[in-house]
Amino acid sequence: MLYKTQRIAYPYFVVALLLFVLQVIVGLWLATNYFATIPQSVVDVFPFSTARAIHTNLLVLWLLLGFMGATFYLIPEETQRELEWPRLAIAQLVLLAGTGVAAVVGFLFGWTQGRPLLEIPRPLDLLVVVGALMFLANVGVTIIKARQWTVTQGSLLGGLTFLALLYLIGIPFYNNLAVDWYYWWWVIHLWVEGAWELIAAALTAFLLMKMTGVERGVVEKWLYVELGLFLLTGIAGTGHHYYWLGAPRYWLWVGGIFSALEPFPILLMVVDTYRHTKERARPLRPSLTWLYLLGGVVLHFVGAGLFGFAHTLPQINYYTHGSQVTVSHGHLAFFGAYVLLNLTFFYFAMPHLRGFPGGTYDEKAGHWGFWLTSLGVLGMSLSFAVAGVLQTYLERVQGQDFMIAQRPIRFWMFVAFLHGLAVVAGVAVIVWHLLTLKPGAEVREPAKPAPEKVAAQPV
Amino acid sequence: MTEKTAKWIFWGGTSVSLLLFLALTVDTHRQFAALTHADKLSDQVVSGKRAFEKHNCNDCHTVLGFGAYYAPDLTRAYTRLGEASIQRRLESPEIAFVDSYRKMPHQKLSEQEVKDIVAYLAWISQIENQDWPPQHSEKRWKRSTARMLAAARVSPGAAVIEQEQCLACHNLGATGGNQAIRFEWIAKRRDSRWIADFLEDPEKHAPGCGMPAYPHLSLAQRESVGEFIAALSAPSGR
Repeated sequence: MLYKTQRIAYPYFVVALLLFVLQVIVGLWLATNYFATIPQSVVDVFPFSTARAIHTNLLVLWLLLGFMGATFYLIPEETQRELEWPRLAIAQLVLLAGTGVAAVVGFLFGWTQGRPLLEIPRPLDLLVVVGALMFLANVGVTIIKARQWTVTQGSLLGGLTFLALLYLIGIPFYNNLAVDWYYWWWVIHLWVEGAWELIAAALTAFLLMKMTGVERGVVEKWLYVELGLFLLTGIAGTGHHYYWLGAPRYWLWVGGIFSALEPFPILLMVVDTYRHTKERARPLRPSLTWLYLLGGVVLHFVGAGLFGFAHTLPQINYYTHGSQVTVSHGHLAFFGAYVLLNLTFFYFAMPHLRGFPGGTYDEKAGHWGFWLTSLGVLGMSLSFAVAGVLQTYLERVQGQDFMIAQRPIRFWMFVAFLHGLAVVAGVAVIVWHLLTLKPGAEVREPAKPAPEKVAAQPV
Repeated sequence: MTEKTAKWIFWGGTSVSLLLFLALTVDTHRQFAALTHADKLSDQVVSGKRAFEKHNCNDCHTVLGFGAYYAPDLTRAYTRLGEASIQRRLESPEIAFVDSYRKMPHQKLSEQEVKDIVAYLAWISQIENQDWPPQHSEKRWKRSTARMLAAARVSPGAAVIEQEQCLACHNLGATGGNQAIRFEWIAKRRDSRWIADFLEDPEKHAPGCGMPAYPHLSLAQRESVGEFIAALSAPSGR
């Protein structure tokens, strides 16, 4: 860590991690709703809908707080300048975390905007906007004053601005349901397949430069290409959500063609990461951070690229749309693309924030956390996929009633629940490990060129 | 690849996609009114949408396939359930779903809210969305109408249905009263014995459902109605 204000990232990471734990616990309850019969008296007080709103909003909140923390860590190092208003950054954390907690408590009492994933009530939306403005002003002014322009900064700032602008489109009430969904996707799709990809690509490029020592020019050149392909396929690819909502028929063509190309930029990201890793000037240390980075890149491709492609063509989507197939894709894609990236950044930054010599740390428990969580989410996604294929065939192709077609699915939801237990255990290990991180025990020479000795660490 | 080419790919790719997307957005807006029958988007329908959002219905159900996947899709709820059946589910889910392994919360809706939501679902059911979802496809209803007409000539059950004017409330194919549950829908869930038993005293099976009892029909007549309805289920795909 080179700059004092990078330390602001730390409280962001802590809050994000605690919300992450809460999110996955609520996830277990959701799975329980699917395989067990919840009595009417419980459903009346705490219905599935409330728990789902909490699960998804906590996800978005903690991922965004993680991205913000990562940005505060990255910006001073990239711009070679302290953050402009460090106190504002703390106030922003208090505001956003407070708004998030107020929203979750509100959901429990039925206070909601009532639109999936955008449940945060409109008055609280205004506080979110204030928080976003504080963030953009802080980062923007720092970048402008520093005048050390890099593509990484541009991609990050562009993604964050894009993200904030799109949030505004999700606030108004729309009379017409079709128009409502049309713009709902501007928030949901253009976030995860647009703005968030810009942020993720920038953070990945930064991590690759720092961890491999590969030249900035090389990394950033490929960053341009990745971003170009992400936006080329991602923006018009929004059309794959417009097939069945009452929009014109040409969206079947536009959505089908552009979204079929969406795996390519992710594949390029995999190839770039592999190439930069091969050309690295530094050893693969700490190995756990590397495990997270590579695991994330691979599962990003599998979850978002392959699982997404599997049901994006209109001929297939006609039958799979709005089924558990979407759930399967959603879980693996979010985990691979954004959860693992956040955790990679936390693992990369924590030793520096804590001032450990050589940026190494005691990794042991962290490996358990990674494998428990990753295999858990993978198994969960595969269980949802089986449930989704069953639902697609029984309900959509055969034409069975929804509740009859759901019967055999309950078993697979129980299998998903068992994997969910592994995920909760894994997340608990990760969070505990990150929050109590200890310096690497076997590092004798903290000075830079000591790869051989560090390599003696148990993996 | 040079950095210049890389930059060109970035700006070229982004602007092509963005321009196409914005142009199509403008055109889509021009077509929305016709495709969604916006002229029928009355104040009551909009109030229904507000009530629907206030009670967070969309975080269990999907509508147009979007939302949560815990409960049935509502895109064609109006054409498959009919007004009275939707009302009953909204007013007293604890009775309507007493046998179900998945429950719906009692939302304590006002009478007005119930009416508004019904109007909203009626409007949604008319949206022209490339005939999605497949399980409630228009084509499928029409096919079953053809089946019924063919069966009516030979089925004693069809004659009883005609005589008792069941289609004054229930739907079958493209005809019916839009008040009670669609026959094809019953066919998917119930067998002929159950239907015959239900006809004798609907209140016993579905308290508060408001359907008249048919004790004056003989067991054989009621069973023939049951067989007719049960035969409407599609056992194997499209």
